[in-house]
Amino acid sequence: MDEKLKNIILSHKLVPKHVILDEREKKEIIKKYAGGDPFKLPYISRNDPVVKVIGAKPGDVIKIIRKSPTAGETVYYRLVV
Amino acid sequence: MSERIVGELKGLLEEARRYRISKIKFGVLSPQIIRNMSVVEVTNEAYRDEVGAPTVGGLLDPRFGAPEPGSHCPICGNDRDHCPGHFGHIELSLPVVHVLFADHIYNALRGVCHNCGRIKLDPEKIPVYIKRAEFLKKHLPDRYKAFVKKVIKEASSVERCPHCGISSIKIEFEKPYKFYKHVEAGRIELSPSEIRDILERIPDDELILYGFDKEAMRPEWLILTVLPVPPLTVRPSIQLETGERSEDDLTHKLVDVIKINNKIKRDKAAGSVAMALKNDYDALQLHVATYFNNELPGIPPSTHRGVKRLKTLAQRLSGKEGRFRNNLIGKRVNFSARTVISPDSNLNINEVGVPEEIAKILTVSTIVTPYNIEELRKLVINGPDIHPGANYVIKATKGGYRMYLKYADRYKVAEMLEVGDIVERHLMDGDIVLFNRQPSLHRMSIMAHVAKVLPYRTFRLHLTVCPPYNADFDGDEMNLHVVQNSEAAAEAKALMLVQNQIISPRYGAPIIGFGKDYITSAFILTMEGNELSKDLFFNLLSTYDRVAKLDLIKKHKRGKYSGKSLFSILLPETFTYSLKSKLDKDVIIKKGVLLKGTIDKNSIGAEQADSVLHRLVREYGNRFGGKFITQFARVLDRFLTFTGFSIDIEDLKLPEEAIIKIKKIEEEAIKKVDEIIAKYRRGELELIKGLSPEESLEQHIHEVLADARTQAGLIALEYLSKDNPLYIMVMSGARGTDINVAQLTAMLGQQTIRGRRISRGFDNRTLSTFKEGDIGARARGFVGSSFYSGLTPTEFFFHSMGGREGLMDTAVKTQQSGYLYRRLVYSLEDLHVDHDFVVRTSNGKIVQFKYGEDAVDPARSDHGKPVNIDRLIDSISLLYPKGKRATKDYIKKLLKKVESEIPSSLRDELWSKLIEKKANKEVAKEAIRQAVINYRTAKIDPGAAVGVVAAQSIGEPGTQMTLRTFHYAGVKEKDVTIGLPRIIEIIDAKQKPSTPRMIIYLDEEHRYSQEKAEAVANRIKATQFRDVVKEATIDLINRSIIFKLDLESLKAVGKSPIEVKRIFSRRYSTELKEDTLIIRPNIKIKENETDEYVILEKLRKARDRFLDRHIAGIPNVVRVTLEKIVNEETGEEEWVIYTAGSNLKEVLLFEGVDPVRTITNDIFEIYEVLGIEAARNAIINEIKSVMEEQGLDVDYRHIMLVADIMTRDGRIRQMGRYGVVAVKDSVLTRAAFEITVPVLVGAAVRGEEDLLRGPTENIIVGSRVPIGTGSVDLYMEVG
Repeated sequence: MDEKLKNIILSHKLVPKHVILDEREKKEIIKKYAGGDPFKLPYISRNDPVVKVIGAKPGDVIKIIRKSPTAGETVYYRLVV
Repeated sequence: MSERIVGELKGLLEEARRYRISKIKFGVLSPQIIRNMSVVEVTNEAYRDEVGAPTVGGLLDPRFGAPEPGSHCPICGNDRDHCPGHFGHIELSLPVVHVLFADHIYNALRGVCHNCGRIKLDPEKIPVYIKRAEFLKKHLPDRYKAFVKKVIKEASSVERCPHCGISSIKIEFEKPYKFYKHVEAGRIELSPSEIRDILERIPDDELILYGFDKEAMRPEWLILTVLPVPPLTVRPSIQLETGERSEDDLTHKLVDVIKINNKIKRDKAAGSVAMALKNDYDALQLHVATYFNNELPGIPPSTHRGVKRLKTLAQRLSGKEGRFRNNLIGKRVNFSARTVISPDSNLNINEVGVPEEIAKILTVSTIVTPYNIEELRKLVINGPDIHPGANYVIKATKGGYRMYLKYADRYKVAEMLEVGDIVERHLMDGDIVLFNRQPSLHRMSIMAHVAKVLPYRTFRLHLTVCPPYNADFDGDEMNLHVVQNSEAAAEAKALMLVQNQIISPRYGAPIIGFGKDYITSAFILTMEGNELSKDLFFNLLSTYDRVAKLDLIKKHKRGKYSGKSLFSILLPETFTYSLKSKLDKDVIIKKGVLLKGTIDKNSIGAEQADSVLHRLVREYGNRFGGKFITQFARVLDRFLTFTGFSIDIEDLKLPEEAIIKIKKIEEEAIKKVDEIIAKYRRGELELIKGLSPEESLEQHIHEVLADARTQAGLIALEYLSKDNPLYIMVMSGARGTDINVAQLTAMLGQQTIRGRRISRGFDNRTLSTFKEGDIGARARGFVGSSFYSGLTPTEFFFHSMGGREGLMDTAVKTQQSGYLYRRLVYSLEDLHVDHDFVVRTSNGKIVQFKYGEDAVDPARSDHGKPVNIDRLIDSISLLYPKGKRATKDYIKKLLKKVESEIPSSLRDELWSKLIEKKANKEVAKEAIRQAVINYRTAKIDPGAAVGVVAAQSIGEPGTQMTLRTFHYAGVKEKDVTIGLPRIIEIIDAKQKPSTPRMIIYLDEEHRYSQEKAEAVANRIKATQFRDVVKEATIDLINRSIIFKLDLESLKAVGKSPIEVKRIFSRRYSTELKEDTLIIRPNIKIKENETDEYVILEKLRKARDRFLDRHIAGIPNVVRVTLEKIVNEETGEEEWVIYTAGSNLKEVLLFEGVDPVRTITNDIFEIYEVLGIEAARNAIINEIKSVMEEQGLDVDYRHIMLVADIMTRDGRIRQMGRYGVVAVKDSVLTRAAFEITVPVLVGAAVRGEEDLLRGPTENIIVGSRVPIGTGSVDLYMEVG
């Protein structure tokens, strides 16, 4: 993907921050919320533009730091499928 | 507890456990099973013999069960009420295709090798594919379906079987049930037995690749060799009054099958010719097919005696009147009543008046205890006919003997009454009942009330509860349900009682409040200088339950009795608040005293956020709120009764002076319109940018006429006296608006259809009184008269046309919003909050990690916020007026301590407000402490059905939205689809919005100067060749086209003539001379074609093609317009570009554009370019902006939940049958929603299981829904 487009995607105001979790954090999140079954988490496609830009692989869990009209800031997690 | 009751309870628990359905598995019946479960082989086509007895082996064979009343079933020995019915079967003389599974058969036939039965895939690939299929089936079931499709496609395109080397045969499927194979000789029909043979060869292990489940079915079972015949309980015969018997549609259909089946059997035995057999075989196939589905495409439906279409199996199940929606979801209940409603302001808001007649029929089963036995004895003695009485007594002993008290010796029964008996007593004052008005659009449509038995025949309710029910008294009827046990009553009282529903979960503000005459009354009562007589004052005061604060009256009255103090008495002494009234004047309440201002809609109206009423309910609780409403309503009611308030035609009369002024305005407006038309005819009309002359004309006229009505309305208001009832109603907000006043007294104004002046009717005129071509004000629906003055016949006609449009809109709107609502509910119904505040589906899939991102219940929020920090700090400051000012560090430290407990928005707001209000240390400490507590109490209850509430909060206002797509004051680029159609578009996840629009922000360099912005806009706009061509001529001799270029506009879009030439020269021979471009299209001309016209036609086509050619700018961005706006964050003015048409990716990359802020309303485009999270944000923003534009208040949390479920799976799913509902795990829910039969068929081949975890499934099987209070179980030791 074009370098310029990559930057545009990440900086756009509709796109929240996406962070790939490391193995330990990933396991913790899956255990805490999904009782060990990663498929219970919400998904994000391996072809999602942001996933491609940050280079996440299927099986990764992405932490999304959202701006929220109610809470100010919250986190959301998605499993790359 | 007595020994016996304990025993009984234990029995009940045991029974409840025994009869719980844990899951439902779907599959296909094998011929073996069909035969094994059959109790009768049906061979006899006659129902009955000569004497009228059911024939043995006929369709009414007694072995089918459901015996006549009084007799017993020969199979199970039960009587009519207890025999479940038994299946029979028909041995088909030739196999037939099961139509409902024809698609699945086709899939199998395409993928399988007809010779060896293996799937036509590389042997090495097969185990890999099987593994993948197993994985997907388990974890991502919707992907599994797509995977099967892919595998079948791959296998069917293989030409030679990789296993046995036989070449593939092309299969053709002719809907609904015929299959053909293509061989060298041509097309040959594939007989069902051949198909069966092929399918039989498919190995079990490979079934998963066809989408079949090896545990649930074998593909050859999809070819029927034996047909099950359902028991008579499924197809009961009915006896008509004439004594004639009438059979069920299914029975009729089955007779057809048996007849033709028997014929084939006989002919086969007789060795009949194949041709004759073939016709009968087709007929058998047809009858079996229509037995399953009588609405097959391309097949004439079977009828009964050629008249009535038979309703066969598929028709029984599907649709609104089908088994699912009508019987399984829509269950009917006992203990309910329905009658007309009427108002009663003497009731408490929690009460409902129940007619005695109804109270004597509705009963409550009460168990006799030592504590109520005397009371119940009295009721038993009163019996069924005297009101607080009882209808039945069920004795605990004597095997639950049930006694009707009407004819019993009631004194004796009363005397014999013993502990443990059940008395079915009449409904009495104080019983908890549920009250409901349809359509039940939100949860406040069913509320718990306290029954109050009253004379006469209507249900009575308090006027302030009309808004939640949307009820009025023009003949509305409502339903009432009596809660049957104390557990249910307690639950209803705690959760559903009217006073606990004052705050709407849709927007976190009161939905129950004062309206109409109450507002008028409050307005007059509390008007500045309104002095009451002593008599009236105390009379009104006597309506209050208790009189407190007498000293307060004294303090305030200063020798006068004012309406304000009557209001103040009801306020708590600690209550201090100020707001603006409708007339924009201050209303000031200090320490429970209304000091200044008039109470109107803004203070106590229903559906008003931040009103006095809202503050009272929030700060002093629901019970106080309920009491306040009840008591104030009583005063207002009595006050208005005594003062009197009425309106008559004279009140609409304006003084002569005003009428002259209005007449003048009208005449001037019409003259102005004529001038505009004259200008337009001369071609001198000033055009509005982006509009054609005709559109500009309409726009100008519209403005003039709209202005005329506004002016007339203002004059009317000016001349109405302040005590005019019309004026009072409008000013207080009780009823009506300025427009209504203007229309009643001054001028109706322009009538419109679809937002335009009325233009239809005759040729070039609207009515025959006008001249053809007259487009003046009067001829196009301008009404200068008022309702008071009366309308002229033409005006009346125009007004009726406008009125008709309104009626049609409402009719269409209710349908559309109803369907939208249904889809929302089915998509969201199983979402609930778990104990960790995570929102999950019924199968545990996570939708939100914290409900609404802050876990706050909108119904407990203060207009969306968990804590109203302003109010909190203000009220605490009153308690701690003195103290050292809190330093920033101090506050920071305090906030740090509670950081993990509260959302960051709350923390930030506390921080800024504490500093802004210069709080002292005590205040800061206390405010933060209370804020944390308030936040905790505002949290949502675990188990809450947040999905349904979200669906309601978006579905319910659907009926209030406009249907029309609004036209933005003439700027087409801003003319966006709005209202209901736009909401539907978003919820449907439509690929392209009907009005794609972008807002393009510009970078630093370009945003401040109009010229620079315009330059960017011009370069962005998609330019076709025609936009830069002055003239195009066809040169027939040289077979070329000569274009004269418009160099100026070419320059504006940033292209040179040479660049344009280059675009065309790639494929055509071109020639450029200054501003003339000659292009020679390569037209193919057949030799014999010499006709010049043909050539000319071809050249013309080529010319149009060239003119349409995109030459500059960004494709799809068809229109652009500039506008100067103020940046909300920086407060700077800047230029932005509005476009019609959208192309996000290219615009973002375009030079001069600010790629951070630039957006489109095309959600799919956002998804493709910026990803799923951006799409989610876009969905939220789009829905919210439509709602706001329509003036509808919907909490963010509901919209976020919709956006989150639509994007949960990493792609945008629609809220409907192909989206969110399609991926539900529950078969029953999907079947109940839409496309019932295909859902069930798919579930059968895939061997799906319904684990009965969601609401719909549990309603269908008749068990408790595991959401909300249903998700909690109480375990206790019995005995």
